[in-house]
Amino acid sequence: MQVAAFYAMAGISVLSALLAVTRRNPVHSMLWLLVLFVQVAGIFLLLGAEFLAAVQVIVYAGAILVFYLFVVMLLNLADEASLPRFAPHWPLAAVAGGACAALAWLVHDAVFSPAGDAAGAFSQGSPHGIGMALFGPFLLPFEVVSLLLLVAIVGAIVLMRRKGSGS
Amino acid sequence: MIVPVGALAALSAILFGIGLFGFLARRNLLLMFVSVEIMLNAVNLSLVGFSRHLGDPRGQGLALFVIAVAAAEAGIGLGLLLVLNRNAPGAGVADLNRLKG
Repeated sequence: MQVAAFYAMAGISVLSALLAVTRRNPVHSMLWLLVLFVQVAGIFLLLGAEFLAAVQVIVYAGAILVFYLFVVMLLNLADEASLPRFAPHWPLAAVAGGACAALAWLVHDAVFSPAGDAAGAFSQGSPHGIGMALFGPFLLPFEVVSLLLLVAIVGAIVLMRRKGSGS
Repeated sequence: MIVPVGALAALSAILFGIGLFGFLARRNLLLMFVSVEIMLNAVNLSLVGFSRHLGDPRGQGLALFVIAVAAAEAGIGLGLLLVLNRNAPGAGVADLNRLKG
């Protein structure tokens, strides 16, 4: 049952990712990306990562995707439909992407190191488990990430300020 | 019956390949950012899958950091895109061949 659900969601996510990178209309690409994000959140739920599934839906599908849609509407991409979608070197890019995707054939039947204890894995995806990891071994990276987000905020404000309007 | 970790790594590799193709082939800067998001999601899938396989919650912490970095990248990248669009309309990367603004 779980495995069947996984393969269904995996199929839909691969299909929607392909459509997202090949559609001509940027808004259609964004909507296929939304389908991909929701499928990935579903796979997170199947893997017992409830907290990450919620973050995936709220941050990715909620915040980042809406931000992208806003930018699509701010940019005037009306003539986008008449231009070629891909750069002239796209077959080379297809070879690179295909080579990377071919790794799937190698890892699918690979033998990985034995699984850890299942008892510890049972509650690891809960906010409690994530919090113990974030504020235990990952305390310094956590603070660095908060600094990174601050830098991104300041950088976005500096970028969008028009010349001459600053003090 | 739980999901085999090999299948999860395979899905991650396929999604990463699709994102790589999109990043290299698309002509529009906005769609290149979309491809980067696909690649980051593929990496997250792999991290969570191995976190589950090894029974170690640290993989999920790393996935959370990846999401934070993706948010920062979207903010800065799309800000740059809007500034570029103000100077020269259109979002094609082919005309971006000067460093001087």
